[in-house]
Amino acid sequence: MPSLLEAFQSQVGRKILTGITGFLLVFFIIFHLAGNLAIFGEPDAMNSYSHFLHQLGPLLWLARIGLLLIFVIHAWIGISIWLKKRKARPVDYKVYSTKGGPSKQSLSSRSMAFTGVVLLVFVVFHINTFALGDMADTQLANGTVVHDIKTLVIDTFQNPFYAFGYTFVMILLGAHLGHGIWSAFTSLTLRSKKASAVIYSIGVIAAILLAVGFLFIPLYIYFGGGCEAALIQCN
Amino acid sequence: MNLDPKIPSGPLESKWSSYLRDVKLVSPNNKRKYKVIVVGTGLAGASAAASLAELGYNVLTFCIQDSARRAHSIAAQGGINAAKNYQNDGDSVWRLFYDTIKGGDYRSREANVYRLAENSNHIIDQAVAQGVPFGREYGGLLDNRSFGGAQVSRTFYSRGQTGQQLLLGAYQAMMKEVHSGKIKDYPRQEMLDLVVIDGKARGIITRDLVSGDIKRWEADAVVLCTGGYGNVFYLSTNAKNSNATAAWRCHKRGAVFANPCFVQIHPTCIPVSGDYQSKLTLMSESLRNDGRVWVPRNKGDKRPPNEIPEDERYYYLEERYPSFGNLVPRDVASRSAKLVTDDGLGVGETGLAVYLDFRDAIKRDSREVIEAKYGNLFDMYQNITDENPYEVPMRIFPAVHYTMGGLWVDYNLMSNIPGLFVTGEANYSDHGANRLGASALMQGLSDGYFIIPYTIGDYFAGEKLEKVSTDHEAFSEAADSVSKLIDKLLSVNGEKTIIEFHRELGKIMWDKVGISRSKEGLESAIEEIRKLRDEFWQNVRVPGEKNYFNKYLEFAFRVADYFELAELMAIDALDRNESCGCHLRDEYQTDEGEAIRNDKDYAFVSAWEYLGVNGKLETKLHKEPLNFEFVELKQRSYK
Amino acid sequence: MSEMTINLKIWRQKNTDDPGRFEDYKLGGVNEHMSFLEMLDVLNEDLIKKGDDPVEFDYDCREGICGSCNMVINGKAHGPKHKTAACQLHMRTYSDGDTIVIEPPRAAAFPVIRDLVVDRTAFDRIIEAGGYISVKTGAAPEANLIPVEQEVSNQAFDYATCIGCGACVAACPNSSASLFTGAKIAHLNRLPQGKPERARRTIAMVDQMEKEGFGDCSNYAECEAVCPVGISIASIAEMRREYMKAIF
Repeated sequence: MPSLLEAFQSQVGRKILTGITGFLLVFFIIFHLAGNLAIFGEPDAMNSYSHFLHQLGPLLWLARIGLLLIFVIHAWIGISIWLKKRKARPVDYKVYSTKGGPSKQSLSSRSMAFTGVVLLVFVVFHINTFALGDMADTQLANGTVVHDIKTLVIDTFQNPFYAFGYTFVMILLGAHLGHGIWSAFTSLTLRSKKASAVIYSIGVIAAILLAVGFLFIPLYIYFGGGCEAALIQCN
Repeated sequence: MNLDPKIPSGPLESKWSSYLRDVKLVSPNNKRKYKVIVVGTGLAGASAAASLAELGYNVLTFCIQDSARRAHSIAAQGGINAAKNYQNDGDSVWRLFYDTIKGGDYRSREANVYRLAENSNHIIDQAVAQGVPFGREYGGLLDNRSFGGAQVSRTFYSRGQTGQQLLLGAYQAMMKEVHSGKIKDYPRQEMLDLVVIDGKARGIITRDLVSGDIKRWEADAVVLCTGGYGNVFYLSTNAKNSNATAAWRCHKRGAVFANPCFVQIHPTCIPVSGDYQSKLTLMSESLRNDGRVWVPRNKGDKRPPNEIPEDERYYYLEERYPSFGNLVPRDVASRSAKLVTDDGLGVGETGLAVYLDFRDAIKRDSREVIEAKYGNLFDMYQNITDENPYEVPMRIFPAVHYTMGGLWVDYNLMSNIPGLFVTGEANYSDHGANRLGASALMQGLSDGYFIIPYTIGDYFAGEKLEKVSTDHEAFSEAADSVSKLIDKLLSVNGEKTIIEFHRELGKIMWDKVGISRSKEGLESAIEEIRKLRDEFWQNVRVPGEKNYFNKYLEFAFRVADYFELAELMAIDALDRNESCGCHLRDEYQTDEGEAIRNDKDYAFVSAWEYLGVNGKLETKLHKEPLNFEFVELKQRSYK
Repeated sequence: MSEMTINLKIWRQKNTDDPGRFEDYKLGGVNEHMSFLEMLDVLNEDLIKKGDDPVEFDYDCREGICGSCNMVINGKAHGPKHKTAACQLHMRTYSDGDTIVIEPPRAAAFPVIRDLVVDRTAFDRIIEAGGYISVKTGAAPEANLIPVEQEVSNQAFDYATCIGCGACVAACPNSSASLFTGAKIAHLNRLPQGKPERARRTIAMVDQMEKEGFGDCSNYAECEAVCPVGISIASIAEMRREYMKAIF
């Protein structure tokens, strides 16, 4: 019997880990999106949410470290699978195409490594921009002084480079999730041939909703002019 | 030559149990000192290899395919018989025995067939324990279907892939022993000669099909499980690589060949579509449970089948054999198909086909029910012919399927060469002149799981076997003769390809040594075979070289052997002046075309001894008389 | 009956060490009722008569059940038709003048022996690691002693029907053998007879699959699309669940 550590280094163990970490990252993304959408709420909503998170102190750090770990494991396994596939097929086909039918080969599934790596780079960039970016202090309606993340977001997305760059990456996120959600479900739950098509549809719809949710914000801010936009109330 | 069948004395029911009571045993410590070569890894070979290894013998397995799992047992569709009587329809070991010996037209040994019927139940137990997914009823217990030649439902099945599932069970049991280290498995190795030392089988010569190396292997016994020789006919339902070479080489080393003319022509195969045709595909006999066989009543009726009204359809099996109807045994069904097509009633472009119609079954049971039973067979038919059998009747025609003949063996399944055991289709033992459906799987597994493990021990315990080395001159002689033959084949460099020769040979055999045979036909067949064989050695072109993977060289070797075996088949058919089972001599039939058996003169096994080939095959007939103590010989009737 | 001319581009490789190359052939007189392999037989007859080496490819039963044939035809394992082995593919699928590219299955775990023939003994070694139920001959109880739900038995059959051709590996972008391995685990582990060994079996087979150098599964499901008997990737999911159960 292998130890747990050995087991999770096996092909099957790795895939199970990819599925579990993938699911956790999807949950994180859903929460992240919910937080983002606070920009359309009360004028203070986004900043108080951000303040609430900062107040958690050690808990927040725990979450951050946990998230980083999950992310690194997910990325590490993904890259190792990609590297191994070259070894498993040293001579490539001259002609290769999918047979269709139940196959889930698509631009989305074949580009998982690429979209994954782009997302990896993006996350570093993203943290640098928003988590470590320069933020002014502002006062909430109840008088608490907090970092003004909302203004930073609105200012950032006035810049076309950021607005369109983010939009592009979010499309890639959608592509990654299009195969990823199905794949995680399949890795962990699939029980019959029939369920396969249903799960795939659910995965694609969820991926589209998440991607659209994320890319809506930069585009809306850019084209709507930030605080001038109808849905966003600034102080 | 004394062909003693070594049948235990006593009542039929207790022959096998008294054999087991008295059988000599090898102690566990000593078993590991013996080495057994098993050639072929189909049902007979894989089951024997696994069972012998479990006992502690050191086993070497050889097969020509790239994996032991691919042996042609895998293609058996319909099922496997057993006398479980789960249907409460009156089945018993006796009835299975009786049906089998009657189905074989009383040309097999009572004792062997009775033992087969006794073992049948253990086979089902064994297979279920191995995880073979047989068809089951809603209650979770095993289901049965009916097969030709029986009036009880005793056939166990895994959809239309029973052979595959049973073979995978045996293959997995074998791989379990590869894992334990008791079996060494050698795929892509073809046995090309038997090595006999001091009159005993002590090893084999193989060609490594990848490197071309000629290799020597020694052992204390050789178990030959290499299947039948239906491919002599070129077109058959056998796999393309199924062949007779290993058996024929043993024959040339002294093993007598029994009943070579007994070839089963299966009634329900997909008809030939053109010259390029490389093999024929069987449609399981189980289809005759629900399909009705017919031809148009009027000659030259070229209307599409669905436009031919009921009263103009000739359901010839139902009319001629009212009590068995479409479920008559295979030989009767095949012969009837030939009779109606000879009368010009055949259908399809070539006129060499009859209809197998599911219209009424679909009307009675619904399409869903029929689909559940035969879905994969219908798909296969549609894929090959491009016609939908749910809507248009299938076109079927007989094709060479199974060879009841094979190397002669005694009750121990040992040939007349001590230490050479022969099991499964490769031996002649249990099916007489005709095999019933769903009995081949039964025999292969009975031989391998439940007979060889005992009888080989009896042989070892009773013999003193000196160690032999592969440097022994008998090994050198055999290896040299194989190399020389390969060189000879490659050096002819003539104009005609191996397939062209094989196809011509097949045509002679089908026309003159096929469904029906006559004295004149057989005599001219023998002449034609000899002439073609001479031409083969003058004019065959074998491509490539011997030192690498060369499939056409493998075929050339096999076809060279077919040329000799074919002559023996014709000689045997000519010698047997009677009609029995699949062997129909035009001279010996009633006005209605029913076979006339001659028990007074031909109730024997013809066992041929090889003397040489010198323009013609020199051969000598030995007879093992068949004594029927327990069943009464009757004219077979399925009316 | 129409006759076609087909342009063939076939991978030729003398042995495992030879780098190999494509050769072009033009074959006339192709009949629509010919099977794909019969078409290659006809090509080989021509080559032999010209004194060339025939194209080597594996085949045996030509009924789609032995699993010997496994070639990649125009980039698809076993050709364009679903649930169809190459030997059951017929030339009526093609039209006059078509070009067909034929390659061996390509995977490090399936080294090429010659032309389109590869060594698939890695599959045997995966079964050898644990793809069986350890019941000795003679030790089996009465067959009807343990009822098996019809549904369970049917599912077991659906996985047991694997013909071991290796198309799943050939078609997988990662060259994974997960469908083959998963199918055997899903077959045996769900039967009451197979349950006592399920943990050991699953771990041993997964371990062997890894050792043979097959790639990881990325749930492309291309294996299911090319499988000549239509085995579902639900077997792969089941293999993972069985693996989880085995290690905890």
